[in-house]
Amino acid sequence: MTDKAKAKRRSWRSSRRPLWQSALLYAIVLFWCFIVLFPFYWLGTTSVKRPIDVSRGPKYIPYRDFQPIPDHWDEMFGSQRESTERHFRNSLVSAVGSTILSVIIGAMAGYGLSRFRYFWGRLGWDNDNIAFWIISQRFLPPAIFIVPFLLLYNFFGLVDTYPGLILAYTMFNIPFAVWIMRDFFDGLPVDLEESARVDGATRWQAFMRIVLPLSAPGLVAVAIFSFIFAWNEYLFALMLTNYQAITMPVLIAGQNNTRGIEWWFISALTLMAVVPVIIMGLLLERFITRGLTAGAVKG
Amino acid sequence: MTRRDDSHPRADFGGVKRIDRGPAEDRVMKRVFLSPAVLILLALSIFPLLWSLGISFTDMQRGGSTIARQAASAGIESGVGFLGLGFEITGRNYERLLDDTRLHSTVRNTMIYVFFGVFIQYSIGLGLATVLNQPFRGRNIVRVIFLMPMMMTPVAAAYTGRMFFDSNPLRSPLAHFLRELSKALGLENNISIPWFTDLGWAPVAILIIDAWQWIPFMTLILLAGMQAIPEDIYEAARVDGANVAQIFARITLPILLPISLTVILIRGLEIFKIIDVVVVTTGGGPGSATESLTLYIFEQALSNGNYGYASAIAYVLLVLVIIFATIFLATGRRLGGLRTG
Repeated sequence: MTDKAKAKRRSWRSSRRPLWQSALLYAIVLFWCFIVLFPFYWLGTTSVKRPIDVSRGPKYIPYRDFQPIPDHWDEMFGSQRESTERHFRNSLVSAVGSTILSVIIGAMAGYGLSRFRYFWGRLGWDNDNIAFWIISQRFLPPAIFIVPFLLLYNFFGLVDTYPGLILAYTMFNIPFAVWIMRDFFDGLPVDLEESARVDGATRWQAFMRIVLPLSAPGLVAVAIFSFIFAWNEYLFALMLTNYQAITMPVLIAGQNNTRGIEWWFISALTLMAVVPVIIMGLLLERFITRGLTAGAVKG
Repeated sequence: MTRRDDSHPRADFGGVKRIDRGPAEDRVMKRVFLSPAVLILLALSIFPLLWSLGISFTDMQRGGSTIARQAASAGIESGVGFLGLGFEITGRNYERLLDDTRLHSTVRNTMIYVFFGVFIQYSIGLGLATVLNQPFRGRNIVRVIFLMPMMMTPVAAAYTGRMFFDSNPLRSPLAHFLRELSKALGLENNISIPWFTDLGWAPVAILIIDAWQWIPFMTLILLAGMQAIPEDIYEAARVDGANVAQIFARITLPILLPISLTVILIRGLEIFKIIDVVVVTTGGGPGSATESLTLYIFEQALSNGNYGYASAIAYVLLVLVIIFATIFLATGRRLGGLRTG
C-alpha cells in the first residue's frame, strides 16, 4: 500500500461522524442514485410491456404488476431489422470514423503545441493564443454553421454520406482533442524523446514510438469523448442526412411523427442507442474522469 | 513576444536549447504537427463563419434570390449580385430582427435556459459534490452511476422525460406519484401539472430534463476539485475553531472558484446550443414558449429556406454567446483563476 493510500485510510478512520450524519449522507446519495437510475429502469421495463400496460398503468414491477413480453425487441430485430441495422451502422461508422481522425489530428496538434514554440507573426499569436483559438471553436454555436454547411455540402455532394458526417464531427471534436492532448503531453517528461533523438530517431519516430505509447490514457480519453459526441449528436445528423446516412438519434427523434407515439418501441430503440455507449463508458470510467478534469481541475 | 521568452514553460526543456532555433527538421515538423488541425478549422469553421456573415447581408433563399426573381418577373434587369452569385446585398435581415416577436421570445427562452439551467445545475451539483466528498463506502460505484445520464443522447433523455412529464397518472410514474401524494396529504384536488401544455411549465420541464442529464457532470468535476484540496488546510482551520459553514464559505468555495467558473462557462455555452430536447419534447410549443434560438434558426433555414435571415439570427446568437463568454473570462482573469491558454 502506498503512503497516499495509507493516509487516505487513516483519514477515513479519523472522520468518525455521528450516526445521524451518516444516515443523512447515505439518504442523499441513495436518493440521487434513484433519480439517476429510475429513468433507465423505466425505459427497460417499458420496452417489455404490452401497450395496454403502458397506457393503463403505471406498472412498476415485472411479473408482479405486468407480464413482460419480448415483442418489441423481436420487432426491432425482426420486421424492423433492416432499419435498425442501417441506422446503428450509420451511427457506428460516423462515430468511429470521426473518432479516429480526431485522435490522430488532435494528438499531432497537441504534441506540436506542447513541444514547439509557434509564433504567428501577423496575428501576434503564440502557443497559448493558438490553443485558446482552437478551444474557442468548440464553443461556437453550431447554429451558425447551418446555412454554410447546407450550401457547402450540397455543392460537394456530401449530403447523406458517411464522409460528410465524419468530416463535420471531426471538426467539432478536434478542439477538445487538441486541448486534452496538449495538457497530457505537457505532463509527459521530455527526456525520453530527447534521448531517443540523441540515439538518432527523427522527431516523427520519437513521436510515434515513444510519445504515443506513453500517452495511451490521454488518447483513450479523447477517443471516448469524440465517440460519445458523434454518437449522440442530433442537429447536424438531422440537417446533413436524408435517408441513407441517418443516425440513431435522428431515427429516435423521428418516431414521434412516423408511427404515433409507441412508447414501448421507442424505449427499446432508445436503449439500443444508449446502452452500448454506457457500457463502453463504464468500462473506461477512469479515462473519462481523467479527461473531464484535464482542462477544468487544473484551472 | 520577448516578454514570454524566458517565462514560457514550454520553452524550457531543462536547459536544452530553444526548440524553434533547433535543427531544420524541427522547423518543418512543427508545421506538420499543427497544420492538419488548423487547416480543418480554417476550412470548416472560420470559412463558414465568415461566409455566413456574408450571407446574412444578402437576400439569399433556397432556390435563389427573392429580389432577383421579383425583378425578373417584372422584366427589370437586376444589378450585379453579391460575389457575382446573383444575390442582392441588403441590410433588411437585420432590420427584420428588430420587429420579429417570435425571435424575441426565442432569445428570452434561450436566456432562461442558460441562466436558470446553469444556476440549478451548479447549485445542486455543488451540494451533491459536498456530500460525496465525505468518505463513505461505495463512492466509486456512485461515481460510475453519475456518468450514466451524460453519456445518453439528449434525444433519448428527452423521450424519457416525456414519459415522466405526461400529466396522465395512468401513464406517467411521476403523475402517479403526485396523485398518490395528494391523496396521502388529503388534498381535495390532485396535484396535476400540465408540463408540456402550459406556457409556464413547459420551459421548466425542459430545464429539468437538461438538469437531470448534466447535474452529475457538475458534481463529478466539482468533486474532483474538492478532492484536490489538501487535507492540511481543513485541519488548520479546524484547529483555529472554524465551523463547517465557515470552512465551506472561506476555504472550499474560494479554492473552487476557478473550476466553478470553468464548469459554469462550459455548461452555459452548451445550453446556448440546446435544440434536441426542445424538438423531442415540445417542438417549440405551446406557441413559441419553449423554442430555443438554435431551433428557430434551424426552422428558418431548413423549413422556410430563408438562408439570409437565418444567418442574421445565427449572428445574434453568436453575439450573445460571445458576450456571455467574455464576461466569464474577464471575471476569471480578474480573480486570477481561469486558465485561458
